[in-house]
Amino acid sequence: MIGYVLQRTTVAFVLIWLVATSIFMVLHIIPGDPAELLLSQGGVSPDPAIVADLREQLGLNKPLPVQYSTYITKVLHGDLGVSLQDGYPIVDEVLVRLPRTLELILAAGLIAMAIGIPFGTLAAVRSGTPYDRIASTLASIAISVPVFVIGTLAVLVFAQILKLVPAGGFVAFSEDPVKHLTLLVMPASTIAIGLAGILFRITRNSVLEVLGREFIRVARAKGLARTRIIIAHALRNALVPIVTVLALQLGMLLGGTVLVEYVFNWPGLSGYLVRAVEARDYPEVMGIVLVISTIFVFLNLAVDLLYAVLDPRVGQSR
Amino acid sequence: MTSMLQSMPKPVKIRLAVVTGILLLALVVPLLPLADPIAMNVKQRLTEPGWGVWLGRDEYGRDILSRILWGARTSLAVAFTAAILSAIAGTFLGLLGGYFRGVVELVTVRSSEVLLCLPPMLLALLVVTLLGAGSGTLILCLSILFTPGYVRVVYAETLSVRMLDYVAAQESIGTHPARILLRTILPNVTAPLIVQFSLTVAAAMVLESGLSFLGLGVVPPAPSWGLMIRGARGTMDQAPLMLLWPCLALSFAIIALNSLCDALRDALDPKAHGNALSAGRSVAAKMSNRLLPGLFTARQEKIVLAVRDLSLRVTAAPHAPDLVRGISLDIAAGETVALVGESGSGKTMTGLALLGLLPKGVECTSGSILFTRRDGSVADLLSLDEAAMQAMRGDEISMVFQDPGGSLDPVYRVGQQVAEGIRAHRDVNAAVAKAQATDLLRAVGLPDPEQKAKAFPHELSGGQKQRAMIASAIANGPRLLIADEPTTALDVTIQAQIIELFGELKQRDPDMGMIFVTHNLALVAQIADRICVMYAGEIVESGPVAEVFAAPKHPYTAALIASVPEGENERLQAIPGAVPALKDFSSGCRFAPRCGLAQSDCDKHPDLRETGKDRSSRCFHWKEVA
Repeated sequence: MIGYVLQRTTVAFVLIWLVATSIFMVLHIIPGDPAELLLSQGGVSPDPAIVADLREQLGLNKPLPVQYSTYITKVLHGDLGVSLQDGYPIVDEVLVRLPRTLELILAAGLIAMAIGIPFGTLAAVRSGTPYDRIASTLASIAISVPVFVIGTLAVLVFAQILKLVPAGGFVAFSEDPVKHLTLLVMPASTIAIGLAGILFRITRNSVLEVLGREFIRVARAKGLARTRIIIAHALRNALVPIVTVLALQLGMLLGGTVLVEYVFNWPGLSGYLVRAVEARDYPEVMGIVLVISTIFVFLNLAVDLLYAVLDPRVGQSR
Repeated sequence: MTSMLQSMPKPVKIRLAVVTGILLLALVVPLLPLADPIAMNVKQRLTEPGWGVWLGRDEYGRDILSRILWGARTSLAVAFTAAILSAIAGTFLGLLGGYFRGVVELVTVRSSEVLLCLPPMLLALLVVTLLGAGSGTLILCLSILFTPGYVRVVYAETLSVRMLDYVAAQESIGTHPARILLRTILPNVTAPLIVQFSLTVAAAMVLESGLSFLGLGVVPPAPSWGLMIRGARGTMDQAPLMLLWPCLALSFAIIALNSLCDALRDALDPKAHGNALSAGRSVAAKMSNRLLPGLFTARQEKIVLAVRDLSLRVTAAPHAPDLVRGISLDIAAGETVALVGESGSGKTMTGLALLGLLPKGVECTSGSILFTRRDGSVADLLSLDEAAMQAMRGDEISMVFQDPGGSLDPVYRVGQQVAEGIRAHRDVNAAVAKAQATDLLRAVGLPDPEQKAKAFPHELSGGQKQRAMIASAIANGPRLLIADEPTTALDVTIQAQIIELFGELKQRDPDMGMIFVTHNLALVAQIADRICVMYAGEIVESGPVAEVFAAPKHPYTAALIASVPEGENERLQAIPGAVPALKDFSSGCRFAPRCGLAQSDCDKHPDLRETGKDRSSRCFHWKEVA
């Protein structure tokens, strides 16, 4: 068990190191000089003096290994560099915006679980019935419709036409908790729709698969109540794939909230990223990508460790 | 190709037709009499829909219908190009990685897995940062994004195909690897590739429109659905409909692609799903709650179970012969009856029917199952509703199944699973149930029961698991224990121990009746008092074990006994042929086609007839059976 934890943790750290290194490499392998690329927007050739300045500022004149070790050392000290646009430390901005994005993802995840798992289980139990077919079709549609389409249409219907909620924006929880939550509802629900569809599907298929296993018949032969068999045995055994998919999807959302944050003016990490991409602010983009990737890797680590709790067979090398 | 299309199931065909329609439409767009999609006409901005401008004009006065149709072209062109490029790259890398393994595998497969560690949208934004927005970047970026998916699929398939004999055979005759890869392995990975391809096209469209929506994809003024939605958002308050059209077009296209993808996957990867939970209980039989008078006086002993004329059939085939026909069976308290037959004889189905656990698709058509409860009352199990049956299962009747490995839920401790059955029927708290469970585990001869109760199923050996299952089955002191081939999945030495355990259980609870389902006659001699031989869904002979073994009265029983290895010199006699499939059941004697004694009158169906005291046979010529 301890060996398993150690092994997974090591893999996670190696992955993060790989990501950090790849980011560094990408910056230096791409054809052309980053400083020149940055300054040559709009097809105008930049002033060589300014390029040289920027190269100095970015440390691009030093040998590659030196640059690499400087970069890694800085990252290890939690220094992601400063924005090229305003010289503001990237870490500070990330720390302000990250919680907002995490909140959005967490809210969406909870809503999606509350919908997807119970309805998916029911669909498995009633597989082949009209309920199953209708719910499965709805889930397919929910998965297919792009999130920004749902978001835009939600704004149109609920904000523009029905005027139930504001079209978007953000108010800190400490300032006005009610307003904060009101503003959270639409973006979180928008993300939750597609996520619920995915959870519905994996729950339905996994529970259906477990229901075909021998121990379900044994549980019936023991005279257990139907609901107990469904929840304590079928759903419980289906949890491993469900958790896997949920974690993977939540991880994907770390970058995937871009569109929703944009639609609803939610000032999260993704908006910051889009701004950085538009301005081609390399240090910012690299910093944000590194942070998101790190969270992603740790999320997967958490899932790996959760497996050992969910499935006693995991982590016991035999 | 045509034949491949024809062999496709209907759902695939319909969806394929829809997607092909969308593709064709996108192809012929330049030929249609449409307004120029990028010609601006600011004077007419936001014109309402009308004659000639069916969907109105956008914020720059451009024709919306024209832009939607041209937008389809843009989206599909980007998505298909990216999907094809990534398919080529991914297939190539996956094939190499899967075939050569080693360093090649590390470079191709593992490195592309690092890409999968990043959220796709993030990766896309990274590429856009480096290369700037535009259709070219978009295609490149999507191709990079989707390559790892192909690598993974092709790699996995290649690995499994590579293990096949004919690939090894080709290698051994020195065929060039490139030839093996192209001619042998590639055709085998086609099916998953097709699914992956349609998946990728849909995903590429979603990402393309998303990036364009952010203003980081297709560059204006080129028509793109993502860009149109972006534009229409600005004028939402004045022209809400303008927002609807590109949303609908995009959603429709993606739903069409995704649903084609699902249908393809179902067609190419058919997995029949059984559902053990919603087992069919008989409908017809529920009504037949009739007591047969005089039944319980027929024999001296106290009867626990009396099955009368039980028939089962496959619901989906109402005209096929019954799966199990006219089974009648008595079990007295303390008696062990062996139900014997080859696979397919219907013995397991009969056992499941007694518990009301028939699988979906099998139902009871006639008969009764009379059961004497602990309190002395008699109930027809077929007429009980599910709730009453549930109360009966695991309490008064319980069952031990064939595969101990699959019988235990892998995520619960063994003790919990035994205790669970106790608490389902007895009002005891968790601690008491747990203590009882440990006692039961000790009673079935598990070494160190306290520790075994805390163990998970995978920590037990096969024999130990079966002991735990037996503990669970006897937990509530059942009147009737059904054991369905309980030793078949076990080693021979373990088999003997489990049989011994059943013998001990009978001594401990002398009133418990037992049905022992098996195909192993050697076990029957050890454990059973009476034997019922089943063939093709019917009982063909029954009687006391010793008598039947000494002088079988049905040619099938005789053949079964002859096939048991005994002395060293004796030649083993296999029964020619096999149990017929349901649809091939003969209308006469079902064993006749394999029977050495078959005569012309065997084309009539024989009834079970008495051949002596407490003995019966379903053979016209039982007197001739040696």
